[in-house]
Amino acid sequence: MATAARPDASQTSNPVGRGVEPLRAGKGNSFLLRKLHSLSGIVPIGAFLIEHLLSNFEALKGPLAYAEQVKFLNSLPLVRFLEVGLIFIPLAYHALYGVYIAMRGKANVIYYPWSGNWMYMMQRWTGYIAFVYIIQHVVRQRFMGVSLPEHPGAAFHKVQMELSNPWMLAVYVIAMIAVCWHFSYGIWLFAAKWGITPGANARRRFGYLCAVLGVVLAVMGLASIYAFVGPNYKNAPADVMPAQTMLYAPSSPGASLS
Amino acid sequence: MAEKTIQIEIKRQSGPDASSTWEKFEIPWKPGMNVISAMMEIAANPVNASGQETTPIAYDSNCLEEICGSCAMVINGKARMACSALVDKLEQPIRVQPLTKFPVVRDLAVDRSVLFENLKAVQAWVPVDGTYDLGSGPRVFPQQQEVAYPLSNCISCCCCMEVCPQFNDATGFVGAATIAQVKLFNSHPSGKVLKEERLRALAGDGGVQECGFAQNCVQACPKQLPLTEAISDITRDVTLQVAKDFLRA
Ligand code: HEM
Ligand code: SF4
Ligand code: SF4
Ligand code: FES
Repeated sequence: MATAARPDASQTSNPVGRGVEPLRAGKGNSFLLRKLHSLSGIVPIGAFLIEHLLSNFEALKGPLAYAEQVKFLNSLPLVRFLEVGLIFIPLAYHALYGVYIAMRGKANVIYYPWSGNWMYMMQRWTGYIAFVYIIQHVVRQRFMGVSLPEHPGAAFHKVQMELSNPWMLAVYVIAMIAVCWHFSYGIWLFAAKWGITPGANARRRFGYLCAVLGVVLAVMGLASIYAFVGPNYKNAPADVMPAQTMLYAPSSPGASLS
Repeated sequence: MAEKTIQIEIKRQSGPDASSTWEKFEIPWKPGMNVISAMMEIAANPVNASGQETTPIAYDSNCLEEICGSCAMVINGKARMACSALVDKLEQPIRVQPLTKFPVVRDLAVDRSVLFENLKAVQAWVPVDGTYDLGSGPRVFPQQQEVAYPLSNCISCCCCMEVCPQFNDATGFVGAATIAQVKLFNSHPSGKVLKEERLRALAGDGGVQECGFAQNCVQACPKQLPLTEAISDITRDVTLQVAKDFLRA
C-alpha cells in the first residue's frame, strides 16, 4: 500500500505519521464523557424540558393558575438542591460539552445533502441556538428582576413584560422551535446510539414517533407564548398573590440562588 | 464528423508536500468508459487539454470491478470507486480529486494506512494461529451467515470515513468500517474469543462514541454494508462491556 508517512513518523503520537490519527484503543475517558452527555440530554434535561413546557402551558389558564404552578414548583422539597443538581449542573455540562462536540465535527451537507446529514447539522445548530437562548433566559428570568420563588404571583407579569418586546418574542419563538427540534431528534439519536433501535425500519418508525412528539411539544410551547401576548390576559397585574417566605432562605437574601 | 471526446479535470500533486493544481484533459470517448479507463487513456497519451506534454496520473487501482477497494476518489464532489464511475453517467467536465481526509502520496493516490492501523487496534481477525492443528472450525448456522456475509463484503475503500463528518483530525474517530468489522468478528464462533478486547478497544478515545449518526457512511458505502445497524449494535455492546468491567473491577 502507498504510504505518505514522514521519516520521523515514529516520533509523533500518530503512528500513521499524518492524516487522521488511528483509534487510541482502550485509552482515555471520552467514552464516559460522551455517554454522560447523551444520557443527560434525556434525563434530567429532557425530563425537565417536558416539565417546563407543561408548567408553562398553565399560562393558558391565566395569571393566577400560572402563579399557582410557580408556587407549587417552588414548594417542592429540597427545591434549591433539585434546581442545582438536576437542572443547572447537568444543563451546563450538556451545553458546554455539546459545544465542544459540535465544534469538532465537520459538517459537509454541501457535498453530501442527505437527510441524516442534514439532521446531524441541525442538531448542532439547534444546540447553538439553545445555548445562547438558555443563557439569556436564565439570567433575565431567573436571576434578574423580581424574584419569582418569593413572588410567584409576579410570574405572569414578568414573562408578559419580556414578550412585549417584539424582538424578544421572535427570540422565544425561534428558540422554542429549535429546542423542541433538538430534544425530539435527540431522543431519536439516543435510541440509535445506545443500540435501542439498531434496525433501519425500527429507526424509521421511531423517527415518526419522535417527529410527532416534537411537533406536540413545539405547539404546546408556542400556545403558551400566545397566552402571554394574546388578547386573553392583556395587562396582567404585577402580582396576583401575597409574597412567599422561602423555605430555605439563607441569612442574606442577596446570596440566595433565587 | 469530429471525434467524440470527454472533458476531465484532475487535481494533481507531485508529492506529499507539493502544492496541488487542477489539470484539464480532453480525451477520445470510448463506449463503456469509466474514470480509471479514462486515466489509462491519459497514460497512453499524456497531453493535457492545452496540448502540453504532461506526466501520467498516479492513482491506485487493481481489480477494475469494485472489489479490491483501492480506487476510491472524490468524483464530481462525491467519494466513490473510480472503476465503477461510468463516464456516460457523469456530468462533464468530470472533476476528479484525491480523498480529502487521507494524506496524498501523489496525484490521486492517498495513504489509507489509518484503516489498517484501526483494524489492527481492534484485532479484526479470527485468531487461529498456533503450533498444532486446531481441527475444523465450529459450524456457522445459515442465520448467522446472513448477518455476517454483508459485513464481510467490506473492501476497505475508506469511502465511509471520507464522507463522515466526525472522521477528522480533531476527533481521530475510528470510522464506520472498523466498527462493522468488530461486529463481524465478534459474531464469528471462533473470532468471538477476542470479543471483550475488541469492545474495550472501541471504548478508547476516537471510538464508537464519536459517531454522531449522520448516516453518511451507509449512503456512501459501495458495498452497501449495514453500517448504521452495526454502529448501533456495537455501541450497545461497548456500553455493556464498560458497565460490566466497571462492576467487576
Ligand atoms: C434544552 C436543553 C437541551 C436538551 C433537552 C438537549 C437534549 C439532547 C438530547 C436528548 C440529545 C441526544 C443525545 C445523543 O446524542 O445521544 C442531545 C444531543 C446533542 N446536544 Fe443537546 N440538549 C439541550 C441543549 C443543548 C445545548 C445548549 C447544546 C450546545 C450546543 C447541545 C448540543 C448537543 C449536541 C452537539 C448533541 C449531539 C451529540 C452527538 O451527536 O453525539 N444541546 N441533546
Ligand atoms: S453514522 Fe455518520 S457519524 Fe457515524 S460513522 Fe456513519 S457517517 Fe460517521
Ligand atoms: S464499510 Fe463500505 S465504505 Fe467503508 S471501507 Fe468498507 S466497503 Fe468501503
Ligand atoms: S479498482 Fe478495485 S475497486 Fe476499483
